[in-house]
Amino acid sequence: MTTPNKPLLARRQFLHGIGGFTLALPVLRSLMPRDTWAGDPPFAANPRFVAFATEHGGVWDEFMFPGAATLTDEQSYAARTVRRGDIALAVDGNTARISPVLSGAADVLTPALAAKLNVMRGLDHPFYIGHHSGGHLGNYAENDGNGADGQYMQAFPRPTIDQTMAYSPSFYPDLSTILERSLVVGNRISWGWSSPESGTGSIQELPPVFSSLELFNRVFVPQDDVITNPRPPVVDRVLDQYRALRQSDRRLSTADRQRIDDHLERLDELQRRLAVVVSCGDVPVPTANSTDEWGSSFAYDPAAQRRFWQLFNDVIAAAFVCGTSRIAVLRVTDNFSDFQGDWHQSVAHEALTPDGGAQNTLWTAHQRFFEDVMLDLARKLDIDEGDGVTMLDNTLMMWSQESGLHTHESISSPVVTFGSAAGEIATGQYLDYRNLDDDGMAGWGDGSSQQLHPGLCYNQWLGNVLSVMGVPASEYESGEHGGYGEVFIGDGRQQFYPSAVFDAAGDMLPWLASS
Amino acid sequence: MSTPPNKVTVASVVLLAAVSGCYSGLGGGGGDGGEQADGESTAADGTAGADAGADTGLDEFECDADAVAPELPLRRLSKTQYESTLADLVRWALPTDADAILTEIDPLLATVPDDARKALAGETHGGFRRLDQTVHQSHVNASYDVALTLARELVATEPRRTTVVGTCATDADTGNDAACLEDFITRFGARVMRRPLEPDELPLFRDVFDGDGAAQGMDPEGLIDVITLMLVSPQFLYFVEHGDAAVEGTTDRFWLGGHEIASRLSYHFWQTTPDDALLEAAASGALLTDLGYAAQVDRLIADPRTEVTFGEFYREWLWLDDVAPMDGLIGTPLFDAVRGDFEPGPETTANMVAEVVDMARWYTFTSGGAFEELFLTDRSFARTEDVASIYGVPPWQGGEPPVIDDPARVGLLTRAALVATGGSNTRPIMKGVFIRKGLLCESVPPPPNNAAAMPPELSDEMTTREVVEEITEQEGSACAGCHSTFINALGFATENFDSLGRSRTEQTLFDAQGNVVGARPVDTTSIPQIVTGDMRPSSGAADVAGLMLESNKPQACLARNLVRFTMARPEDELGDGCALQDVATQLVDGVPLVEVLRAVALRPEFRQRRFE
Repeated sequence: MTTPNKPLLARRQFLHGIGGFTLALPVLRSLMPRDTWAGDPPFAANPRFVAFATEHGGVWDEFMFPGAATLTDEQSYAARTVRRGDIALAVDGNTARISPVLSGAADVLTPALAAKLNVMRGLDHPFYIGHHSGGHLGNYAENDGNGADGQYMQAFPRPTIDQTMAYSPSFYPDLSTILERSLVVGNRISWGWSSPESGTGSIQELPPVFSSLELFNRVFVPQDDVITNPRPPVVDRVLDQYRALRQSDRRLSTADRQRIDDHLERLDELQRRLAVVVSCGDVPVPTANSTDEWGSSFAYDPAAQRRFWQLFNDVIAAAFVCGTSRIAVLRVTDNFSDFQGDWHQSVAHEALTPDGGAQNTLWTAHQRFFEDVMLDLARKLDIDEGDGVTMLDNTLMMWSQESGLHTHESISSPVVTFGSAAGEIATGQYLDYRNLDDDGMAGWGDGSSQQLHPGLCYNQWLGNVLSVMGVPASEYESGEHGGYGEVFIGDGRQQFYPSAVFDAAGDMLPWLASS
Repeated sequence: MSTPPNKVTVASVVLLAAVSGCYSGLGGGGGDGGEQADGESTAADGTAGADAGADTGLDEFECDADAVAPELPLRRLSKTQYESTLADLVRWALPTDADAILTEIDPLLATVPDDARKALAGETHGGFRRLDQTVHQSHVNASYDVALTLARELVATEPRRTTVVGTCATDADTGNDAACLEDFITRFGARVMRRPLEPDELPLFRDVFDGDGAAQGMDPEGLIDVITLMLVSPQFLYFVEHGDAAVEGTTDRFWLGGHEIASRLSYHFWQTTPDDALLEAAASGALLTDLGYAAQVDRLIADPRTEVTFGEFYREWLWLDDVAPMDGLIGTPLFDAVRGDFEPGPETTANMVAEVVDMARWYTFTSGGAFEELFLTDRSFARTEDVASIYGVPPWQGGEPPVIDDPARVGLLTRAALVATGGSNTRPIMKGVFIRKGLLCESVPPPPNNAAAMPPELSDEMTTREVVEEITEQEGSACAGCHSTFINALGFATENFDSLGRSRTEQTLFDAQGNVVGARPVDTTSIPQIVTGDMRPSSGAADVAGLMLESNKPQACLARNLVRFTMARPEDELGDGCALQDVATQLVDGVPLVEVLRAVALRPEFRQRRFE
């Protein structure tokens, strides 16, 4: 592959990764096509999207969320009263704290960084989805089928929002620097069409990457591989080959031709990718790889897990800085705990045990994830892109959990975000969309003190994400209501979700839009 | 894409069906659909069962010779097949440097997505990797990178070009260059495409070599382009099939051509490209005759590569990739107390899995055994001390496998890999689900919402069976409908093996710190209802295995899996009905397993294709 190297620019910052590479950061504005900066709203800059998805959830109210006193404002919305307040950061010695889980070193979780964070609750999957990985980003079909609602939904796969973005011309109006439309780390988190450009074919899982070095090689071309070839790549001839087969009068089935069409779209993407001018071609290859951490004790070694995920953070930050990708989704299945045993059964499924023993293990593990992974990437992205606007400001980073207060129950799964999506989202807020006047879920969770209340629909949030990323509703709304995809209400749950909830599903969530 | 109706009524219907599903019999792949048994036989203990002993397994299938299964469109090579094909190609083209070149492309091959085991729709367990037909961007990117790198390597030096292309490529005579190139394209292309080049392909590749006039002489860059283009062509990455003569009496079914058959055979049995003999049989037309075809099937089956392929089949059919690590909890008090002196190592799980795979391979390819012998074996195929010690036998050194001197250790159901959990506790529910789904090919309705939130925990007062019964078999509960009748009973039958697969007659009870606080006898009796309504009791694994064999359901299930694996797609009840019935009948009749494998490949469906 021929890869001309664009000279790096004079104004630089330095991203010091743990993977053995130091990345000189050119000022990104200079790397971006002029029209994307000078163009009309909605965006002043190319927004980036990061999603972290973690397993289980089940973290109690008092550990996950800021105190209720934080919620100082309220308004009527969708047949309920919703609340908000400004994030308050308490500093105690070297620790800064928004909540027990949302805490970290005070020199990292600074007031300025905390002001770029949102905490949301009251976003529901209004059916029993059980264990799932698809619900995080909108493919509700991907659940374990361990319940009638979930099994029913398996018949209705759809792309996840990251892939909707990745192939939206509104999100990627200019692909000239994009080597990977999306970076997918960890399995079962991202799904797309077999012919993604045309949005046709079947829904299939995006293959995951577990090696940070492999991901690095995808978004940076190692210098050893840059070979000067006077002949153009033969990919255009490859395209001809497939087209010739597609159009030949030899016997093929209709479905055979669809498969060739799928392949042709992929070849078009390959051809596009081969023409990309890599902007950061002198980045040295990292000396460390995430998979180096996979020793026999990895499952209960939070320090090794921290190194594993921070290596990916390095690559993601570098890819964003260099403009070779703008989307990263990561499914984090590590526990961030030294608990040695059956985490699933003995910790996650014991989250509601009143003595709080399992809960203590659970929430401290979530805190480690927040500090070691999410906060780490936020810090790495919080670098000036010019005029005081940072890369993080131009990003929307979200953390979603598989369940809410009760394991298996996706009522009010917490969502934590960093970044304002290039000024589209108001940050520094604790937002609570639950209907506290509805006690109909009392008694769920075997009478646990962790009381559930119905919220708004999670698909409204997913639609909001796409909207602030510049994707028009016409590209993702498909049902009679707004938001991402179709809403399904599970058996016995319709009384919690009045029509006002669905009528509002196409709106921006209260207080979320920047004024 | 269809979208779910936004109506609660639909979910209600689904839920009701799910809850009532186990009362009226299990459905799905097993296909009995609540069918009542009609035989009258006597259980091992002399108890007459209601409708007991029905021969339901074969009744699942209906043969309609006119029915045709939907075709799998333009199959791609699996990752295993792709890697094997490249390796064989390099060894054929450049034997002396093959290992070095394959090492060079190894990191790029690692970027080809791994194939996932594809279960049937709605199932979360089981499945075969060769059914994964997804094509991702990374497939296309990686295959291009691999092709380009491999092409560069093959012609990187003058000696390599001499070997790969011919002496004409490096001699001083420019007059032979055109013929040299034509010979190379024809010879190399036929090996890559797995058939002779079509008339329009030679000029195409010659034109690519020429590169709009950029090529000078036997320009290595031109050769690189030609080889790259071949290695990303649809004819290399996919099974491009056009068919030949129409099947008599049909308009949309065609017999495959000789080279298309050669590829199907080779990739089915060997997971790689056809060898010289197959290509010759294709070219001569021998493969298009019944005798010539059968001769090639026999030759392929006799090759050791077939044994490896069917080792993969057994491994995936029996969910052996799901066996948990046995050493993950070493160092925790409770597990250490449970394991006692036995210390599983990091390889113990792999050794357990290998034992089952070796067992299946031995009965299929070495002993000439039938399914019943495999299913009821009392031999150990454990090659390592850790697993052999679980069975109380010396490690198997090859040859005649040692007999396990334990009357409880009867057959496939009692193998360490199928009963061990690697935890402190056994999992009778999961064992039952595996037997229902994996060995009987029945679908089990989902539990009620959130029913799985309270897993059975190890108790210091009750056996695991008693805990499971207390949680899932409360009379009148939603759980009892399935658990008390169709799931638990199968798992309880092997509760005389602990969580590391060791035989036991009583379950030692521990507290959370691993202190022994008591013991209770294990109970393996149950009414397994292999056939719905068959109320004959079982005393344990031997009885369950016997009832299973008698039902013919495991044979029918194996038939389904063999057809699935052979055709690389889910079986079609109507279109594959004849094949399923034929294969299941042979398994029930005690035909040696290797003969059954042969019979599947000899089915006409294997050599035909439907075009819609």
